[in-house]
Amino acid sequence: MNWPDLSMGGYGFYVWGSYLFALIAIVWELVSLNHRKKAHAREKVAPRILRGSANETTS
Amino acid sequence: MFYPLAGKIIPWFAWPAGILFALGMFVGFFIAPTDFQQGDAYRIIFIHVPASWLGMFLYILMALYAGVGWAFNARLASMMASSLSITGAMFTFLSLVTGAFWGKPTWGTWWVWDARMTSTLILLFLYIGFISLQSSIDDPRRADRAGAVLALVGVINVPIIYFSVQWWNTLHQGATIRILQKPTIHGSMLWAMLIMLAACWLYSVAVVLIRLRCIILEREQSANRFAEVAV
Repeated sequence: MNWPDLSMGGYGFYVWGSYLFALIAIVWELVSLNHRKKAHAREKVAPRILRGSANETTS
Repeated sequence: MFYPLAGKIIPWFAWPAGILFALGMFVGFFIAPTDFQQGDAYRIIFIHVPASWLGMFLYILMALYAGVGWAFNARLASMMASSLSITGAMFTFLSLVTGAFWGKPTWGTWWVWDARMTSTLILLFLYIGFISLQSSIDDPRRADRAGAVLALVGVINVPIIYFSVQWWNTLHQGATIRILQKPTIHGSMLWAMLIMLAACWLYSVAVVLIRLRCIILEREQSANRFAEVAV
């Protein structure tokens, strides 16, 4: 096992930069999916709330 | 029936993907030796090559599902194509960005208009075109059909990307791993790349299934809203 040199022999900016971009892309995809899921959860609740309030006003 | 099943199998892909990402990084940075020509800059391949392969492979899958959805009016297949498009676009974008990060220290430039890079950029535009076209049409069935036409026409670009380094004299290096020949890279480098490829593949399956569940819900909700308005 070799301990990696963090400066990557002078190429650290390029190596770590590319992995940082990969991390950002993956995190962006996961966060946007999570937002999409949460939006569905809200939409599922919203019509029920609307229907409930409509019943209250009509009764 | 598919919706709950997809929900159950997602963790079986997501957790191994995380473990394999960690293992691939460990092998790539702690076990694989420094390259005698490129130094440590070559370690970008552990993310660049899997991202490039998945960008191409997911496009073929997307076109296949879009074609099946169009030909057999199979809505789930069309929804699968929509779900694949975003992850495929993300990997293609990642392939271009990491390629630029690799190109600068090895070629002395971030970008050149050579055949491999230009055809990969066209692949990204095809993904963006597919996503934009689908989201610009309100009727999901018409959106699926229009997307399928674009996806199927765009498939021609995938073999162009793959063989571009053989057909044209490009700055991009040739393939180091071929199906019928022995790989020309060190074993530990190959293992790190294959582990990262497996990780990216498992990640893609998990993320595509999560997004597919969202698309199913979205279409159900919009159909319900339409039915309520019609009543």
